Amino acid sequence: MKVIDAFIDGLMRIKRAPWLGIGLWLTTFLIALPLAGLLLDQIQASLGASLAAREAASGVNYDWWNEFLAQTSGVGATFVPAIIGFAAVIKNLSTFADVGAVPTVILGAVVTNMVVSLFLIGGVIDRLARDRAVGASAFFSACGTFVGRFLRLGVIAAAVYWALFGPYHRWLFDDVYKALTAEVTVERTAFFIRVGLYIAFAIPLLFFNMLFDYAKIRAVVEDRRSMIGAIAASWRFIRRQPIAAWALYAINALLFLVVIGFYYLAAPGGSANLSAFAIGQLYIVLRVIVRLQFAASQTALFQGRLAHAGYVARPIPKWPDSPAAEAIGPR
Amino acid sequence: MVPVGQLGAPKTANYDIDVTLDPGARTITGSELITWHNPGVIAAYSIRLHLYWNAFRNTRSTYLQQRHLVGDNPFADADADAFGYSNVTKLIRLNDDGTETDLMKADFRAISPDDQNKDDRTLWAVSLKDAVQPGGTMRLRVEWTGKFPKNFDRTGQIGNYYFVSQWFPKLGVFEAGWTAHQFWANSEFFADFGDYDVRMTVPHGWVLGATGVEQSRTDPSTALGASAPKMTTFRYTQEGVHDFAWTTSPDFIEHRQQFTLPGRPAVNIRLLIQPEHDYLANRHFAGAVAALKYYGEWYGAYPYPTLTIVDPPYQSESGGMEYPTIFTAGTRWLSPRYSNDPEYVVLHEAGHQFWYGMVANNEVEFAWLDEGINEYSDSHVQDVALQPNYLVQRFFGDFIPWQYRDIPLKRATDTNWMNTYRRNPDRDSISVPTANLWPGTHQNMSYHKTALMLHTLERMYTWEVMQRVMSLYFARFKFKHPQPDDFFNTLNEVTGKDHKWFIEQVYQSSNTFDYSIDRLTSEAIETRGFAEGTEFKENTEKNMFRTTVVVRRLQAGQFPVDVLVTFSNGEQAREKWDGRGRWAVFTFDKPVKAVSAQVDPERVLLLDTYYTNNSKTTEPANKAAATKWSLRWMVWLQDLLMTSAFLV
Repeated sequence: MKVIDAFIDGLMRIKRAPWLGIGLWLTTFLIALPLAGLLLDQIQASLGASLAAREAASGVNYDWWNEFLAQTSGVGATFVPAIIGFAAVIKNLSTFADVGAVPTVILGAVVTNMVVSLFLIGGVIDRLARDRAVGASAFFSACGTFVGRFLRLGVIAAAVYWALFGPYHRWLFDDVYKALTAEVTVERTAFFIRVGLYIAFAIPLLFFNMLFDYAKIRAVVEDRRSMIGAIAASWRFIRRQPIAAWALYAINALLFLVVIGFYYLAAPGGSANLSAFAIGQLYIVLRVIVRLQFAASQTALFQGRLAHAGYVARPIPKWPDSPAAEAIGPR
Repeated sequence: MVPVGQLGAPKTANYDIDVTLDPGARTITGSELITWHNPGVIAAYSIRLHLYWNAFRNTRSTYLQQRHLVGDNPFADADADAFGYSNVTKLIRLNDDGTETDLMKADFRAISPDDQNKDDRTLWAVSLKDAVQPGGTMRLRVEWTGKFPKNFDRTGQIGNYYFVSQWFPKLGVFEAGWTAHQFWANSEFFADFGDYDVRMTVPHGWVLGATGVEQSRTDPSTALGASAPKMTTFRYTQEGVHDFAWTTSPDFIEHRQQFTLPGRPAVNIRLLIQPEHDYLANRHFAGAVAALKYYGEWYGAYPYPTLTIVDPPYQSESGGMEYPTIFTAGTRWLSPRYSNDPEYVVLHEAGHQFWYGMVANNEVEFAWLDEGINEYSDSHVQDVALQPNYLVQRFFGDFIPWQYRDIPLKRATDTNWMNTYRRNPDRDSISVPTANLWPGTHQNMSYHKTALMLHTLERMYTWEVMQRVMSLYFARFKFKHPQPDDFFNTLNEVTGKDHKWFIEQVYQSSNTFDYSIDRLTSEAIETRGFAEGTEFKENTEKNMFRTTVVVRRLQAGQFPVDVLVTFSNGEQAREKWDGRGRWAVFTFDKPVKAVSAQVDPERVLLLDTYYTNNSKTTEPANKAAATKWSLRWMVWLQDLLMTSAFLV
């Protein structure tokens, strides 16, 4: 299977599984909603019956905003101008790349989302690999089947990511960057040095990300129980077809950039109200699709190269009859 | 008598200096002839010399100890070569009879009158065998060597860039005795006016900028033979200034522009800019022109023929500092168009030519007189001449700018630095001598609170009145050393009012201000009672509503404020409150209900740290605003969740 075919096949599989996208979007929505409710209370209390609320409702009341930030804590402290429009994306990517501090309450939401994603990802890959409707019970059965395995995989992944985002990042950006720029008198040079270090950070990060992606795919498609074995199998797959694996990853990354670009053009400013929220949700849906596309296209590539489309070793699980059936059925 | 120059400045301390830069060793070697006229009313029996670079000589200097107080230890990991120093090697008094007195053999010693720190060597003293009588003259020949610290506050070297400031042995100010302080981290400088004639020798081909006007350029190395390193000597002179700074680098790109306005002296503006900032050159000029135009119009004309803007390189640590007719103004490689970077810092430092350069207050004791007045002034200029100015934040290692076109920065709050002031409004007061301010809040007092204080006065009296105050103060104290009382006396004189209460509340105290509308009700006027076993309730005034407004003073600061109530028919009622009590009640009987109440509706008191609570309405929009912004925030959080989910 060609890379481009895997890419297109991935998109088609997502199209044929709309509930996956809806479900993942709903996950982010439901995790974010309670915290948004907390913030709503804080903002409402801060503005009270003040006339300042009118400007805040119709546009950006930066004076009030600064007063709010000076008095608030917790969720409220994350309510900064960078949440407006495309700045939100820039801020989050910058936080990710620079390993910026995330407040505890937000970290809780992030971890919750990761745990939920870890639970769902087995069912998601299973559904994308089968490329046909399996029903909710089979989907969640697959989720349940793989969550234990992916927790084990997650421990290994967490250790790797900790090493990358912890000591490796600190070494790059605290030690190497400072040493390389100590005598630099041209800001542009310092920036390009930083870009070089971002690349040095991204290469192992993307490699391990891809390695764990294919490990999950092989675990689901081939019904692997050993996660170390799945990682080894993933490594063999990538090693045998590095160009295809990296090219597909790059095309998917390009799709991510296209989505980002769309939001850059479409994101409304601070005056917009519900339209901004609607466009924001559309953008989140597109981000969900990109995320699914990584899984779907990589699954398609793997099945196209080592198995066949729609192949999974594990049969579709069927729920047994309810115990109540014994009472009403023939003895 | 102290002679006076053409500009009207006294020629109190005059310097004739030769200095050579050795880039390899990172040193300067200099000799100077100081001609000093005693401007005081008493004889001088000793002299004081500042050797500022000794602040970087050891980690126990007063300057660095003060930085340590706020956890800043810039030389913690520095190697020995990073330190700087200034060593006087010869100090000779040239007597009137042609003889010389070697003052190095007298009691020439480091003193520390401010904090008795024996490790501080930034201020030196020596006794004079023959006192200098009032109006008398003394001539000193000083030779010294100085080593640049690595790029550090306002001075130093990085790469091929040298910013040479506070670099020569310099006399203190003699008033009723010597006013001379050690070098403190908070404070800047204080010196007397005089004439400077300075010859600076630097590597051939390097660009040089300095205080004053270039007189000549010679190549001394030709006289020393072909084998000598090629050097060039620049000679700059300037009368009527109280300091001299210079810079040199082979990397500067040079631009020139002339500032002309009818009735004003022409000024040759010279910009020495880093190549990566060259595209911003016009914006540098815009900032400088705005300062010369508006400060000149509001306060008094800039009298010097030149103004040199130095754009320092990245990490130079000399990003914004003023010296007479020359200043540094740092900027960034990427600078969005509709932000005031670099305009703001150029404007601010150019503005210091007026407030510091000409009106030369003691910056060690009353920095607010130049920093605060200048901040207030540049904020006003930004408002009238440099718009739009949107909020910018930087991401990805503080490199990539993002501009918020929804958030124009306003004079009253943003460019007066209210948001910074609000964080620590009560840790010090403006009246505390600058060097003694807590290092972490020095800027908050000298710059931010002062700007807010002056803008509050402007809102009390109008800009026209305030401009008269400032221009009169400028005219009276140009080429002089004013004290805080000089400013307040001018204010009292122009306004015809005594500002004792204002000075106590705003200038001398560290009080915070916060007024609020605590309660707003509008109800039908009824009387309810109980008499002779019967409860009664009657509408005592038909179709009338009693509006009750409770105003509170939430913090210690007291300030007279207006209370404005708006009624449903558009009618407004205004009351005055002296603001002294903790609360006050205002009632209004009207045939209509009130829709809003505001305390200090025009926001005269810009020092009020929380203005949101200054109003209440019966038709609040807080639910709509909270819904809107919490939903916008939610998209940000969802994006963060999606970004972090990359790892799963």
